[in-house]
Amino acid sequence: MPLIGQLALALALILAFYSIVANVLGARRGVPTLIASARHATWATCAMVTVAMGALWTSLLQSDFSLEYVSSYTSSTLPTFYKVTALWGGQQGSLLLWTWLLTGFTAIVAFQNRRRNPEIAPYALAVLAGVAIFFLLMLNFVTRPFDMLSAIPAEGQDLNPLLQNYWMAIHPPSLYTGYVSASVPFAFGAGALITGRLDDAWIRSTRRWAIFSWFFLTLGNLFGARWAYEVLGWGGYWAWDPVENAAFMPWLVMTAYLHSVMIQERKDMLKVWNLVLIGMAFALTLFGTFLTRSGVISSVHSFTASGLGPYFLTFLIVVCVLYGGLLIARFKSLRTPAEFESYLSREAAFLFNNLVLVGIAFAVFWGTLFPVLSEAVRGVKITVGPPFFDKVNAPLALALVFLMGVGPLIAWRRSSFENLRRAFAAPAALGIVAGLCAFFAGLHQWYVLSALSLAAFVLGTVMAEFRRGVSARRHMVSEPAAKAVVNLIAKNNRRYGGYIIHVGVILAFVGIVASSFFRVEVKKSVREGGSFYVGPYELVYLGLTTRETSHLESASARVEVFRAGKPIAVMNPAKLFYKRPQQPATEVAIRSTPASDLYVVLAGIDDNTGMVTFQVFLTPLVFWLWAGGLIMAFGTVIVMWPNVRERAAIAAAVRAPAGLELDAQTVPAGE
Amino acid sequence: MKRSQPLTLAAAVLAISVGLAAAGWAASIAAKTSLQDVSEGLTCQCGCGLTVANCNHPQCEFAVPVRTRIDGMIAKGMTRPEIIAWFRTEYGEKVLSAPTTEGFNLVAWIMPFAVLIAGAAAIFFAFGRWRSRAPISPVAPGAYDPELKRRLERELRERI
Repeated sequence: MPLIGQLALALALILAFYSIVANVLGARRGVPTLIASARHATWATCAMVTVAMGALWTSLLQSDFSLEYVSSYTSSTLPTFYKVTALWGGQQGSLLLWTWLLTGFTAIVAFQNRRRNPEIAPYALAVLAGVAIFFLLMLNFVTRPFDMLSAIPAEGQDLNPLLQNYWMAIHPPSLYTGYVSASVPFAFGAGALITGRLDDAWIRSTRRWAIFSWFFLTLGNLFGARWAYEVLGWGGYWAWDPVENAAFMPWLVMTAYLHSVMIQERKDMLKVWNLVLIGMAFALTLFGTFLTRSGVISSVHSFTASGLGPYFLTFLIVVCVLYGGLLIARFKSLRTPAEFESYLSREAAFLFNNLVLVGIAFAVFWGTLFPVLSEAVRGVKITVGPPFFDKVNAPLALALVFLMGVGPLIAWRRSSFENLRRAFAAPAALGIVAGLCAFFAGLHQWYVLSALSLAAFVLGTVMAEFRRGVSARRHMVSEPAAKAVVNLIAKNNRRYGGYIIHVGVILAFVGIVASSFFRVEVKKSVREGGSFYVGPYELVYLGLTTRETSHLESASARVEVFRAGKPIAVMNPAKLFYKRPQQPATEVAIRSTPASDLYVVLAGIDDNTGMVTFQVFLTPLVFWLWAGGLIMAFGTVIVMWPNVRERAAIAAAVRAPAGLELDAQTVPAGE
Repeated sequence: MKRSQPLTLAAAVLAISVGLAAAGWAASIAAKTSLQDVSEGLTCQCGCGLTVANCNHPQCEFAVPVRTRIDGMIAKGMTRPEIIAWFRTEYGEKVLSAPTTEGFNLVAWIMPFAVLIAGAAAIFFAFGRWRSRAPISPVAPGAYDPELKRRLERELRERI
């Protein structure tokens, strides 16, 4: 199996090289058969990497400890599910997963564009193949997943216990899918720059890829936060760790890009800016991987730190220089006679939204790298932790939420005061009422009050938009309100899906603010039968149950929860001890309701005194962070849903001119 | 509603925000030093990457004794800045969870806002240039194109 895998990776590398050469030569010389051949090479590359994936998975499932990777990240007692997920538990495997996704997406792009985008597509596919070559070079020569051990160990070292969690099964693939799919719009942007086809064809043909990338970046960040919440046992979900930051930055820039392209599609403005944004998003995905692999910054998530940093850094620099060079070379052609009438316009709101999003991304980037800079300049190692990121980003988050409310309602070109009054009076009143209610309910922190007011304002703008749309529909085609809502979304999925995403963002924002400001923590040691209070809850410790399997030992506490004297739940926080890596871990118990989460950690067991220590967090509204995330995902699915009108627009933008059909079958014999 | 009402609403939002900010500021001045507040300002040195307040190791050799020590210092009447300064002298700057606001570290705090202001200036500059090019041609009252009306109705039917 290892031999098959290694051979497949070597063949994939050769095929990817061929794909670049054939695509570029085919496009430059106008030889459709060569381009078709490159397309087949793209599919074959994907097939070869799939074979390598299959080979590694087979070795993992068979516990073939002759393979260094298998013995480093699994053991014979590791549950089968985690043997499967161990493929991305280590460096080589996660790079292989990345490469597989990349070649898979490239194969899909090749298929999608076999009859369209005749000018840009070959170059875009060449760029994607170039990225794949970098990863294949790593897998073939630097960090090989199929390296064999000279002496076969009887047992493997097992997977890091922190990774033995179902969120870890889906968090890395989601994040990688988001990272890798950002390559597609980047490649088309580069293709547009190479060919000089600088209209919005590249944006329209990759819009769904960009949203797909954003969707998975959202889920990746959300799943990662949930993993931290359930596994790390500190009651929080985000610590501004460098690796968390690395996943957050591309999400911010992709969000800016998705808003900014609307201006280009609508007004043919911001061509340079959109190309810069997609270049930044792609570079940040590489930067994230560099951070995870290089060990240049210490991180709680650096499970796979290695010496790969210099390679990634070199590749990152090469990408930035080449892409930047192309942008400079095409700068004059990209300048368009932009027209702008008023600061009170949607294009202005979107531009300021871009400024704030990119500003937050920069603040995160700056804070993440500042320790390195400080050490280089002053020779002093410092820490840039949550207080820095919270203080810098908190006001920016408020500005962003405000713009989220303004953007959808303000008119394109310019708004009159009458327009503004009609659009914003009700949402602004709602915001003020919400702020006053919160104030009289006892919330006196200015940030919380501003956040709640603005959140209500944004929800008000979304409701106003839906109300307007529904009433227009009912006026034109009389139908029940519920049906009108469904039809409104179906006919304008991009717009109303976007509003649903905004609702999700606001709910998540409220969850973040409430859980950050009002979390209560109680630490208590009790004997069996003892009880203590956390907020309105009484927790009674009923006893300890121990369990042992071939893989781990566990001690699980039984805690009954009462509210107003009535039993409402039994919770089982546990301490685990993994035998193979000889490492302890915590299994928290969470009782989640829309109002608050009761989060119980078994912090310590004293065998001598029989005392058990619990650390309990009562976190309000954190439920809405996860619910908001899922609503964002739901809204994104609506936005991505195929739409006949949009399909026609894409077809018009990217249709192959007569005589430039790419499919070799359409070319007359002998040509 | 009159034309000035958006301005009234905006003024109300602004007034409430300023009032709330002032209340928050006054509350923060009045707030006492707490264990949570101080331990948020210190980074745990056990390698967890979290603050002393959030270290997830129940028996952490750094965070647990530090929390006890902070409790003792608060009991003695020391303020947050005094306690933080004490730990800085003891463990060096790396124990702080955020850069100080002095010397080179000031760059850490200023740069994000400097970039933001530069970005805003660039946008205003670009808007100024684009604005001068834009032909603003208000539609004369009563101007009416039947073809445009037909197109509007067709598109409304398609889109709504």
